[in-house]
Formats: sequence, structure tokens, C-alpha cells
Amino acid sequence: MKKVIALAGNPNVGKTTLFNALTGLRQHVGNWPGVTVEKKEGIMKYKGREFLVVDLPGTYSLTAHSVDELIARNFILNGNADVIVDVVDSSCLMRNLFLTMEILEMGVKNIVIALNKIDLAEKKGITFNFKKMEKVLGIPVVPTNAKDGTGIEDLKRKIVAVADGRITVNPVVPVYDDIIEREISHISEILKETALAERYNLRWLAIKLLTRDEEVIKLVLSHLGHEKMDEILHHIGELEEHYKKSLDIIIANQKYEFIDNLIHQFVTHFAEQKETLTDQLDRILTHPVYGMLSLLAIFYFLFKFVFTVGTPLQESLDSFFGVLGDNIGRYIVNDTLRGLIVDGIIGGVGSVLSFFPLVFLLFVAMSLLEDSGYMARAAVVMERIMRKFNLPGKSFIPMVLAFGCNVPAVMATRALDDERDRILTMIINPLVPCSARMVVITFLAGVFFERHKALVAISIYAISLGLALISALILSRFVIKGEESPFIIELPDYLIPSWKSVVIHSWERSKEFLKKAGTVILAGAVAIWYLSNYPQPVGTGLSYAEIIGRALEPVTKLMGLDWKAAVSLIFGIIAKENVIATYGVIYGIGGNEEALGVLMRQAMSPLQAFVLSLVTTLYLPCIATIAAIRAEGGTKWALVASLYNLILATVIGILVYHLGLFIMG
Amino acid sequence: MVMIMYVHLTHMNEGEEGVVVDIHGGIGARQKLIGMGITPGTRIRVLKSSPPGPIIIAVGSSRIAIGRGIADKIIVRRELR
Ligand SMILES: Nc1nc2c(ncn2[C@@H]2O[C@H](COP(=O)(O)OP(=O)(O)OP(=O)(O)O)[C@@H](O)[C@H]2O)c(=O)[nH]1
Ligand SMILES: [Mg+2]
Repeated sequence: MKKVIALAGNPNVGKTTLFNALTGLRQHVGNWPGVTVEKKEGIMKYKGREFLVVDLPGTYSLTAHSVDELIARNFILNGNADVIVDVVDSSCLMRNLFLTMEILEMGVKNIVIALNKIDLAEKKGITFNFKKMEKVLGIPVVPTNAKDGTGIEDLKRKIVAVADGRITVNPVVPVYDDIIEREISHISEILKETALAERYNLRWLAIKLLTRDEEVIKLVLSHLGHEKMDEILHHIGELEEHYKKSLDIIIANQKYEFIDNLIHQFVTHFAEQKETLTDQLDRILTHPVYGMLSLLAIFYFLFKFVFTVGTPLQESLDSFFGVLGDNIGRYIVNDTLRGLIVDGIIGGVGSVLSFFPLVFLLFVAMSLLEDSGYMARAAVVMERIMRKFNLPGKSFIPMVLAFGCNVPAVMATRALDDERDRILTMIINPLVPCSARMVVITFLAGVFFERHKALVAISIYAISLGLALISALILSRFVIKGEESPFIIELPDYLIPSWKSVVIHSWERSKEFLKKAGTVILAGAVAIWYLSNYPQPVGTGLSYAEIIGRALEPVTKLMGLDWKAAVSLIFGIIAKENVIATYGVIYGIGGNEEALGVLMRQAMSPLQAFVLSLVTTLYLPCIATIAAIRAEGGTKWALVASLYNLILATVIGILVYHLGLFIMG
Repeated sequence: MVMIMYVHLTHMNEGEEGVVVDIHGGIGARQKLIGMGITPGTRIRVLKSSPPGPIIIAVGSSRIAIGRGIADKIIVRRELR
């Protein structure tokens, strides 16, 4: 069995960056707290040996409640690691060592500290005596810069040495005042009699009891029985009388004092309090008025950038597929085969694939938001608005991520502080148009609203986002009741994103789009081609596509949508891009968008196209998103989300269509 | 002259400094604040406070944004200069 090395630490300290440096993988890194929300594994090679490295979500303490933090907490508590690498932000030592002390208090001895972001500490003028630090803490300490690789080799060497037991670690543990120490010994004495003594560090259990940790109370209760437990709790109550504060605060306080004492022994120069560039930027970007204007401006320019740069590329790719279809078609003699390849595959997949530049650039825009440090500020600026809709401020982050793809966005809800917030945020998440729906919206706007396409696209986004907020309000009133949890978020320093990491990140994400094109969209296109050519070709009224579509028409007709739209929406559930692919196949002109446009304009009015675009955006989430909601929230909520969106789309579709008819007389 | 007053964090003005003396409120939020380095005895500086938005404070070399609901449960000894 490979030895297990776990990376633990506060959020945003660089655990994943370090993980990537140790394993050579490319896991997602971002400059905001809560990027990693699940445990990720990789292999580290050292002198011909292999080790299993586990990257954990960040956590501020071991008394955490959010899903991502619980994953980290449980992994550490269960003692699954042969070596724990405690990743510490050297420019913010005091707070980072709090978690370190909590880990040490559990009796952990197999630990190494990676003193990361050492470059930032130096820049801020903080200087360390590393030798002294190791001695004071009793733990191996390696200064690292995970970003450029400084110290990584040294870190590997020390990790392996600890794993092999060649370095004996003898860590300090926090000491409290006499009253608390006496109580700790007293409780430990009682616990010594129980079976807990074999599995747990008794001092740790005692401290956790004093802070009234729910899980530990439950655990001890099962071994001790109510009578003795009540006695202990009664005693704790008396102590709280004495301090006039709850003990968790008293203990935390003394822990910080203890840490402060340690730090003064090995930090030889502290940072001066100066106003930084980050503070100056924040003055504008978190301002109640200018902050909101900046937020709108930032999102406007990011989308503007995506379309200004992406559209010409999309158009050239599209003509390329048109020419490709024509040329290939000439060489295929067999009619059926030509139909399948030119109309089905090139027509269906090609019309979707041509949007790759837009999708890639959208992810570039997302990376810029994530890497710059702006993400946390966006949550701050939006907090008071989100609160009006009964959403916690932090749920704005998953909403922003959803512009790229809803699947990671649904996962990101793990960083929210309670269950109610998480479910609510998850259910409204599909109402944020993702990159796939951007493709459909752009396509239809381009075909039907040549001159006003930007306005039309923006209005679809606006309606959809507005409905997301209103839905939160409605659902929180009637379905997912309760209050949103308090808003607390750390704001990291701003960074200028490096082009390399932006490109890598955007590629990692947009690669999924290419994969989708080669799999579900390809399969969808072939299926649609088959359904629209057998048993009789489309137009005869006898093709399977027409039969299926017409069965749904009674409902879609209410929104002004014909059988083709109905078929496209069915395939859109697999992947939303299939809505376009369907039209590409049915009008069979081999990926030539211009010809496709002409035919589509003959078959549909702009109003109908607008409704189709809106309904595609709102109705059932794609299969991958439904699966993600199911995995994160359970089957019940996946069903609620699906049904809610389906009903919402139908109602809004009918309303908008009839409103449109009315306005246009 | 140094004037000292005990106030809720929500009543601190931008640019003012103080020392946290107590944190009320639910255990969840309290533990979160503690883990982020905010306990009684912690020196803080208010960077931004504009109702009804969150309050941003500097703690050591980190910056933390706190919603008004929970900020109202943090008691600070204000130091006016
Ligand atoms: N200057 C500097 N920046 C670093 C260093 N290590 C990581 N970073 C940056 O710190 C930010 C956070 O990095 P991540 O690796 O995502 O942090 P994490 O600890 O995995 O964060 P969570 O998953 O949210 O807990 C990114 O912007 C990194 O580029 C370092 O040694 N020096
Ligand atoms: Mg991470």
C-alpha cells in the first residue's frame, strides 16, 4: 500500500498549487476561498517510490460546519494520513497556526509544515528564523513558494523522512490557564476508564467537551452515560459563570495568546501596517455605489470581450464546416451515407463546434474573475441584494461560476455555511445560463435578430437571472424555509492573473465542450438524423421525428413552438447544444449556417425564435446538471429542481409568446 | 486624549480601530469568526462600513467581510484618537 500524504490548511493558502507541484497534475486553482470542495488524489514520485497525495478543501478550524470543511475535518480526524502537510500562509501566520494547533491538539505527530507564499511574506517585510521555528514548534518546517516551485524538493525530502519515521516530530501543544488545565485533567481522568482511551487523545476530547463540540458530546455520551455526562456539563456551566463567557471563546482566546508567544520567538521582523494597492482598489470595488457600478461594468466588458473577439472566429469556423460538408459530400456516392455524414454529423456537430472560440473565451473571462481575487468582492457587493431574495451573499459565487458550467457551480455550493442555503442556491443555479445555453442564445439571436442580436441576448440573460432571484424568494417562502446564514468571507489580496494559468484553466474547462461535441452531441446528431429520415424522410409527416414532435405539439403550440422545436428541446436535455444540432440536421445543409438561417427564418417568426431561446434557457437542466444536484442534494431536490424549471419554462414561454402576439397586434 | 467606548461593530466608523471584547450569536458563526482570527482581544480596523452592505475589517494582515447581522453581535472596545 502506498503511504498517504494529506494537504490540509486554511482556505486559499495554496494547497492545490502545492498539490499540483507535488503530483504534476493540474487541479483547479483560484484566488478565492472555497475553490477546492472535494478531496482530490494524485501520485507523488520520489526516488523511485510512489506516494498517494490527497488535496483537501480549506478549513479555518476543526469545528467547521459546511460540507467542504467537514470533508477536511473528517479526513484529519479519522487519522487516514501517514503524513499531514499543514500548508500555512506565511504572510498571515497567527490565524493559520490556529488550525495547526487544533491539529496538534489531537495528538498528531506525523506532520510537516509548508510555510507557503514565502515570497509574499518577504515582500511584506516579515522575516523568520526557520531553525528556531522548527525548534519552538517541534515540527519540520519548509519555506515554499508553490507557484514557482521554490522549496518543493526540500518539502518532498522532509515528507518522506517523516513518513519513514526518520525524523522524530515532537510538537508543542497549547497550554491554558490553571483553571482550564485542572478541568482538562479532571475530565481526562473520567474518560480514562472508558473505551475511548484506546482510540482518542483524551486531552483533545476533554478540550472539545469544554467547548461543547456537538459531535464529541454525542461520542462521549455513548460511552459515559447520561449521569456522568450531565455532571461534566454542569461543571462546565459553572466555569462559564466564572469567566462570564462561553468556554469556546475563552479557550480560543488563550490559544491565540499561546500562538502569539510562539510567533514572537521565531519571527524576527513583523509586517508594517500600510495601505496596500488592494486596499486602494477595494475602496472603489467594495463601495456601495461605485462597487455596484464596477460590478456591472466588469461583467459587461468581460462579455463584450468574449463576443468581440469570439464572433469573427466563430463565423470563420462556421464557413469552414460549410465548405468541408460540400467537399466531402462530392466524394460520397451512397446517398444514405452522404446524408448521415454531411447532414447528420457535419451539419449537427459542426454547427455546435463552430462556437468553440466563444466557449473558450468565456472560460478565459471566468478565469480572470477567479484568479484576480475579484470573486470574493463580487459576493460582498451583491450581499445586500442577495439578502433581499433570502439568499446568502456567498451564493453569488456559484451563480457566477454557472455562467461557465452549472456542474462545478452546483458543487461549489458545498462552501456555503448551511444546508438550507446550499439547497436553495443549488436549485436556482440552472437558471443562470451556462456556456452551452450561451451558444444557443447567440445562435438564435444571430439568425433572427441581425441588428438587435446583442439586445436580444442580453434580455434573455436578464429575464433568466431575474427569474433565478425571484425563484429564490418564492422557494424560500414556501418550499425551503428558514433564514439565510450569516455572511463571513475573507478577501484575498488582488493578483494579476498569469496568462499561463488562465490559458491552462480555460483549456481544462472548455475541453469538456469538445468532449461533449465528440460524444453526446455526435450521438444526438446521429439519432436526430435517423429519426428524421426513417421510416420516411422529414416533410412526409411520417418520420419518427415528426411523430414524436407532433405528440408534444399540443403543449409547445401554446408557446408558439412547432414539432421541430419540440424535438430539439427533447434532445436538448442531453446537452443544450443539441437544440442547434437538431435544426442543423433537420434542415440538412451540412453545416452551412447561412443556408440554415434562410430556411429557419422561413419556418419561424422572430417572436417564436425568442420564445425558443428563452424556453431552452429555462426548462429542464441538462442531464449532467440534474445528476450533480442529485449527488449534492439528493434525489428529492433533483426532482424539485427539474419539475420547477419545467413548469417555470412552460408558464413563462406561454406568457411571453402571447404578450408578444398582443404587442405586435 | 484617548477615549474608549464599548460599541457594536456595526457602530464603528470607517478607519476606526478597536479591540474585540465579546462575540455573541450562534455557535456556528462564532466558531467561524474564531477560526478566522477574531476573538476577544483581537485588534481590528474598520476598512469599510456602509449600510446596508457588509462591514470589512482588517485583522492582522487579512481582510474579512462580515454581514451586518453578525457584525451587530460583535462587541468592540473602540479607540478614538
Ligand atoms: N505569491 C504566491 N502565491 C501563491 C503561492 N501558492 C499559491 N498561490 C496563489 O494563491 C491562490 C490560492 O491558491 P490555491 O492553490 O487555489 O489555494 P487552496 O489552498 O487550494 O485554496 P482552497 O481550495 O480554496 O482552500 C492562487 O491565486 C495561487 O496562485 C505562493 O507560494 N506564492
Ligand atoms: Mg484548493
